[in-house]
Amino acid sequence: MFSEQAARTAQGLLAPPSAEASTFARVPISTYTNCSQHFRLGERSFNRQYAHIYATRLIQMRPLLLERARQKWGSGIAVRKLCELQTAEKCCIVGTLFKSMQLQPSILREISEEHNLLPQPSRTKYIHQSDELILEDELQRIKLEGAVDIQKLVTGTILALYGSEREDGRFVVEDHCFADLPRQLPRRGPSTDRFVLLVSGLGLGGGSGESFLGMQLLVDVVTGQLGAEGEQSCAAQISRVILAGNLLSQNTQNKDTINKAKYLTKKTQAASVEAVKMLDEILLQLSASVPVDVMPGEFDPTNYTLPQQPLHHCMFPLAGAYSTLQLVTNPYQADIDGVRFLGTSGQNVNDIFKYSSMEDYLEILEWTLHVGHLSPTAPDTLGCYPFYKTDPFIFTDCPHVYFCGNAPRFQSKELTGVDGQQVLLVTIPDFSATQTACLINLRNLTCQPISFSGFSADEDEGEMEISH
Amino acid sequence: MEDELYLENIDEFVTDQNRIVTYKWLSFTLGVHVNQAKQMLYDYVERKRKENSGAQLHVTYLVAGNLIQNGHICHKVAVVREDKLEAMKSKLATIASVHVYSIQKAMLKDSGPLYNTDYDIVKTNLQNCSKFSAIQCAAAVPRTSAEVSQVQTSAQADSQTPNDTHAVNVPTINGHVSSTAKQPSPQPKGIMGMFATKSASKSQDTNKETKPESKETTIATTVSSKVSPKGSAMSNFFGKAAMNKLKVSSECEQPKEEKTVAKPSVSVTEPKSPPSAAVEKPGKKMEPVKIQQKDKRRAKRMATSDNEEKEDENLKKKRRRIKRPQSDSSEDEDVSVSPTPQEAKPPLPSPEPALKIELEPATTEASTGGKKRKRKRVLKSKTFVDSEGCMVTEKVYESESCTDSEEEFIKSKLPAAHNQSTAAVRKEPKEDRKGLKKGTATASKANKQVSIMGFFQKK
Repeated sequence: MFSEQAARTAQGLLAPPSAEASTFARVPISTYTNCSQHFRLGERSFNRQYAHIYATRLIQMRPLLLERARQKWGSGIAVRKLCELQTAEKCCIVGTLFKSMQLQPSILREISEEHNLLPQPSRTKYIHQSDELILEDELQRIKLEGAVDIQKLVTGTILALYGSEREDGRFVVEDHCFADLPRQLPRRGPSTDRFVLLVSGLGLGGGSGESFLGMQLLVDVVTGQLGAEGEQSCAAQISRVILAGNLLSQNTQNKDTINKAKYLTKKTQAASVEAVKMLDEILLQLSASVPVDVMPGEFDPTNYTLPQQPLHHCMFPLAGAYSTLQLVTNPYQADIDGVRFLGTSGQNVNDIFKYSSMEDYLEILEWTLHVGHLSPTAPDTLGCYPFYKTDPFIFTDCPHVYFCGNAPRFQSKELTGVDGQQVLLVTIPDFSATQTACLINLRNLTCQPISFSGFSADEDEGEMEISH
Repeated sequence: MEDELYLENIDEFVTDQNRIVTYKWLSFTLGVHVNQAKQMLYDYVERKRKENSGAQLHVTYLVAGNLIQNGHICHKVAVVREDKLEAMKSKLATIASVHVYSIQKAMLKDSGPLYNTDYDIVKTNLQNCSKFSAIQCAAAVPRTSAEVSQVQTSAQADSQTPNDTHAVNVPTINGHVSSTAKQPSPQPKGIMGMFATKSASKSQDTNKETKPESKETTIATTVSSKVSPKGSAMSNFFGKAAMNKLKVSSECEQPKEEKTVAKPSVSVTEPKSPPSAAVEKPGKKMEPVKIQQKDKRRAKRMATSDNEEKEDENLKKKRRRIKRPQSDSSEDEDVSVSPTPQEAKPPLPSPEPALKIELEPATTEASTGGKKRKRKRVLKSKTFVDSEGCMVTEKVYESESCTDSEEEFIKSKLPAAHNQSTAAVRKEPKEDRKGLKKGTATASKANKQVSIMGFFQKK
């Protein structure tokens, strides 16, 4: 674990100054490859409809699903397209799920005059008892019933169903299966302890100064200013820092200035300007000492649709001078010291949370891995670029570390796949709320939360890190 | 004795200056390693308390260690007051480090002031913030400006390759061609042609905001039609002006369309920005174009926070160049703009105002309306003390954020500028410019006058 061996010299600095102060060298980057090229968008054309992305998703995932289906239900099962279905014949169908939800916000309904509806208030969950599941393939769609958990599944999932069609035209499901985890490349991790720090939700520009000290403590620990010598030498083993989104707070997104009168807002600056300056300074401190990967998040100044493109380097004039600063996409995939990392800033998990009955972020994270798709609800309820050739969110290789940012709390789990894949699932908590970050040890793929606190006027309980 | 020196220093800081002395602040102030600073603080506390047990000294400590929480081990790092130190230490299963965090005279209610102290000292030492740190990273070396430009062009080239997989055609209206290499071919000729040759060398200024091409070409054509006789001199001006760290040089300014900040002098030199929608940020209008060229520029940027001040200052510097061309060499170091445009300027004071004038009506004509904020060139009085110690008031153009409704006032101010009485000879070029502007302003007003044919044309 991090800094356990530091315990020996813990009180070493409670002494008169010594002549020599030891300096530790940061562990060098042994291997790093950024594998997120398929998330980069070059020229973008929005002339296409979103049907193409569903079509390509189905085409890409169909063979995987058929293989899984044959493994699960026997190789002799009949695989049918929806147009070939015959009543009462047990067969396997593969298609895209569509969940028709009564409470799903629909812009057409909102602006429709004949309905005369007020805009729907935003909810945490949009599921309802009356939701229905429909399976669509290339040509047809069919309503589903039976042993399928309607509340849990979300639109856009590709799955294989085993059952039969009834006379009334509905498909009665007996069993279902997902694409499950893909192959995993062998992990060639380091032989000594090496850490990667995952942080998300710095929330700069949020207005509340409470998290600032925590953030400064984080930067100080990583850059080796804080702590006794033992801890500093352990911190020198942090080989990378990944900032997983929401570097700016939601408050910077305030667009009131558009509605206010011009004379009131004439000289005001957008809140994100100050926040980005602060972020630049923090990144400068970090990148002067450790390689940093910055992923954009929901409230960051980049495009809204997934995959989010990297933040623009002109926003970081100070930190951008260092080659250790890397601005990367969301989602982000990289090989760090032989360990494959894949993660998002949390928008995919958050969106599934809204439209599914699953409550636990870690559970949703695991579920996306089983389904074989990073973000099945895109483009239905989550903005997405209209791909047409390939769907880059389909898992091609199984990662070793799979994370999502901006979760309500820290959770981690080691998952073992059917074919022996080992994945460490991590939900990174929102730093501005929890003052907690995650340290991942690349040697043995374990994860440890690290939390920071100052002190405030109302003492005692305020210092305790209460995480569940 | 040497050892006593730091004790005296700390004593002075804490008791006399009543500061909050954090280890980081001490480390930067005395220029020592952070660990030594921590030890110094501890030593001071011990000695002071031994001498005078009633000393008014409050200490905060940093405690770090492992905490067992809900079954998993959490590493905790906390700043605690002295009275809570033992309590915190007992909560931790293993203690990884304890050291003095800060010393101050007064009892701190919360840790806010600690953060502020650290923030201030780091801010003043941003360029070498990890100099006294215990960890040195070999990979973290600041890039030189040449490398920076290389990286930026390669970043553009990289973003080209995904194009092939995603884009069907190359819709020149919808998309933006990202690579500088592709710039010359699809763009219209004329002034763009002049810039294209420059842009290859000026690849530092890549990736600026997206500009609506239609607007760009409008401005470009109006500019080109009037400026083409001036030829290469003006293109020099534009080309080098792009290297300015000004977001908009005062001569070439455009109102914003919709929500994007248009930086035509910069953008026109780089007509192709990468298609990243990352740059379409409504809140970015104040953010100056960061050109990573020289450290001093960055330092200068940090020094001036207000955009308007900066522009004005550069404006004034440009003005001075025109007035006193012989003092070019002495001002070279001070002025943050690159020297070449300044050399181009003195021989061409007249095309400059002509250009300004042309852009002004273009500015107003090309505005799409809508209640969005634009950056306008507004005539304002600026009072400053010149080199001879005299107070001088000038009416200068200054870019300011305002709406369409304020356009009309600009025109009315232009004739008012003429009335200002200025006796000094060196003000003549400016007067000429203003006179010219007034003439053109009235001319443009005349152009705008509705003719009787208007009744017959619109059906």
